[in-house]
Amino acid sequence: MTASSSVINNRIPAGVLVLPKSVSRRVQAAWGIVGALIMLGIWQVVAMAQVFGTAVPTVVATFAELLSLLGTSAFWSEVGITVLISLAGLTFSAVLGILLGILIGTSPVIRALSLAIFEFLKPIPPIVILPLAVMVLGPTWPMAFVLVAFGCSLAIVMQTASGVQDTDPVALSTARSYGMKALEIKTRIVLPSASPYIGTAMRVAAPTALVITVVAGLLGGAPGLGKSIYQAQAAGNTDTLFALVTVLGLLGLVFHAVSTWTEAKALHWHPSHREVSL
Amino acid sequence: MKSKLVLIILGVASPLVALGLWWSVSETSTNSFFPPLSQIMTRFSDLWLFEHFQSDVLVSMGNLFAGFLIGGLLGIVIGFVLAMVPLLRWMCEPTIHFFRGIPPVALIPIVITLIGFGSEMRIANIALAAFFPTLIAAMDGIRGIDGSLKDVCSVYRLTPTERITRVYLPAAGPQIFSGLQVSLQVSFVVMIASEMLGSSQGIGAMTLLAQQSFMSADMWAGILLLGVIGFLVNIGFEAIKSRVLSWHLGSKRLERAA
Repeated sequence: MTASSSVINNRIPAGVLVLPKSVSRRVQAAWGIVGALIMLGIWQVVAMAQVFGTAVPTVVATFAELLSLLGTSAFWSEVGITVLISLAGLTFSAVLGILLGILIGTSPVIRALSLAIFEFLKPIPPIVILPLAVMVLGPTWPMAFVLVAFGCSLAIVMQTASGVQDTDPVALSTARSYGMKALEIKTRIVLPSASPYIGTAMRVAAPTALVITVVAGLLGGAPGLGKSIYQAQAAGNTDTLFALVTVLGLLGLVFHAVSTWTEAKALHWHPSHREVSL
Repeated sequence: MKSKLVLIILGVASPLVALGLWWSVSETSTNSFFPPLSQIMTRFSDLWLFEHFQSDVLVSMGNLFAGFLIGGLLGIVIGFVLAMVPLLRWMCEPTIHFFRGIPPVALIPIVITLIGFGSEMRIANIALAAFFPTLIAAMDGIRGIDGSLKDVCSVYRLTPTERITRVYLPAAGPQIFSGLQVSLQVSFVVMIASEMLGSSQGIGAMTLLAQQSFMSADMWAGILLLGVIGFLVNIGFEAIKSRVLSWHLGSKRLERAA
């Protein structure tokens, strides 16, 4: 059984009970394609049999619509705006989050002052303050930006703070006895040691930023793909609706992949990311 | 010891001071976006205690828990099956990852076109959103079970049911619970979003309606209620989690002490 291959590997020479990895991975991918084709087939049959009336477009219609969307500049500008808002909000959250996190992590007083407020705000999703943001800022991109910043920065603050607190005290004392200035200690000791925490927080925050941007468009009318989805649904344009949601799925995968890859690249020097190569 | 006490006092005092500041600064506010907190609280008790409690608050919470339970349970069961049957897992994995990439809120318009604006639409959406995080966590949790545990199962000749209930589920428990926690948070978001998209019932719908009719005190009252619910639901889940996983937390503590 491949399920227990990792254990067997330790004691029995490879190849006795376990298929060589490369073949098995290719087989897995092949089965994955088969599975995806079956799902697409089910979708096509459900659509053609009109189980849900005309609410489900066929696979063919959806992909035809998707292809024609790909040729329009309006679609690409919407994708661009969506990505831009997400990245802007993410960058702002990162800067704010890391600065605040270092502040909270190094000062017990500030930590005590802010802990209860942050702990209360952390489980509250940005959609809760969406009505307020729409009321004050209207259906604009700053509204979406504010929601992304609210939704992403808190987690980065908390993670950075716990990373800072986790700094090796010996390294800190060493730096101090070498006569490093406070700022130098922050940038050369504290920040690198907190970076895996920050990396994790950023990896989680990146897809979240995309989701929040879409929510801001869908419910608050901010520009971008979320708004297009709302319009497609309101107009009963199911082909476009399904095509746009497919695009969002792909975009989500891209955000996930890029953030995972960036984290691994940026932190390749850190022990927690080195283990794999051993 | 003394400084620790000071810190605790600071920690308790800061939210109270923040609330007090909000109250006193906003008291004379004439800005239509930021009404006095006292006015918000009056509207809060008028609206939610208890005029709309049964018609909206209970409906919202009922949908949330129904959807979360359906999605979470399905996630655990299917995650389990996929973890045990490699062929099925290989076939489903790309599709699952594709669905995970879609923001759950973006699926709401599709479900609306499929089954309309009723309560079952909201429960279906919440269940759909809750399904994927738990599914992936359960799958990874069970696949990540230490091989020696499986060997022990074989040595003791445990029956499949014993293996599942006594060994596999508890071993994957910590991961399943962190998946469930993500599911709960997403469920909460989708609960609000599904009410904001064209329904007339529920806390989210009332809050958005208040915003659209520029009744800012009512909107603030809705935001406060949603914030408090989000906070309490999370606390409640943490309590259940630490109770169910007490054996795990205990053993981790022992490990650290050793």
